Amino acid sequence: MSDLVKRIMVYVDGTEQSVTAAQYAICLASFSHAQLIAHYVVNTKAMDDLLKAHIFLQDEQTEYEHDMEADAERYLNYIAELAIKKGVSVTKKRSKGSVQREIVDAVKDMQVDLLVIGELSRIRSRRDEFYDETDRAMRSAPCSVLIVKDEERVWNLYESLV
Amino acid sequence: MTMMNLIKEEIVKVPLVSDDKLNVLRELVQILKDAGQIEDVNGVLSAVQEREAKGSTGLEDGIAVPHAKTPAVGGLKLAIGVAPQGIDFDSLDHKPANLFFLLLASPDSAGPHVAALAEIAKLSQSKSFCRAMAHAETAAEVVELMTGE
Repeated sequence: MSDLVKRIMVYVDGTEQSVTAAQYAICLASFSHAQLIAHYVVNTKAMDDLLKAHIFLQDEQTEYEHDMEADAERYLNYIAELAIKKGVSVTKKRSKGSVQREIVDAVKDMQVDLLVIGELSRIRSRRDEFYDETDRAMRSAPCSVLIVKDEERVWNLYESLV
Repeated sequence: MTMMNLIKEEIVKVPLVSDDKLNVLRELVQILKDAGQIEDVNGVLSAVQEREAKGSTGLEDGIAVPHAKTPAVGGLKLAIGVAPQGIDFDSLDHKPANLFFLLLASPDSAGPHVAALAEIAKLSQSKSFCRAMAHAETAAEVVELMTGE
């Protein structure tokens, strides 16, 4: 049973949903004795798109990239703290680029068995222009994917973990 | 998560009644106040105006994407406004803006803010969609156009 999942990666993007996903991933790692990786992608592709679309100014792009780097540090440290509290060690991973590409590459490079992500939008627009990069990563990831829902239940599960 | 979860009729106003840039920014911020999503109208408006002062967020084909980071909001906030009369917004193509997406984020929400702005950038590339939005007559119609349902 312990071979079922050896390496879990949780994608963290600064949303509450991703923090819930991380709590669930910590519980899973604890039960299955799997290695846990927390991954934050600084979405430089989106920032490049915003610059090209003239929505961002050059200085703004630099500023937001700096903000996202700081967010990455903060959220990954927070996830690590959550994990340590439950006796689980976590490898922090930070990358830059397209969210979908970086997640898929990390899954392959780190031989991840299970990708854990936060709840996606309950409304799925039929417009092609609306897409969620996490949704795309979920569909193209070369491993099993777990979407975590029910924040309250997950919190209780995490809290009860000794 | 980003945009889809933010789209509700209460954050959409059709038509906007302002006739200049300063007042339309205020009107857009007021949408969020009226929807109970922000408290500090002046604080938010200052942040938006400060960003506009660095460079207009009026794009081409009638679209404007005013945005700002501010501690006066929690998380990510979106307001959408349609101005059939067109408003001079110092846009890139020097034409009036009809369709406004105001996007605000707290300083620690850079990731979701960037993702949501990127979605709007993609939307703005669809001329037919933007034309349909600019001709929308009700908030319900705008929501339906955005969600595609």
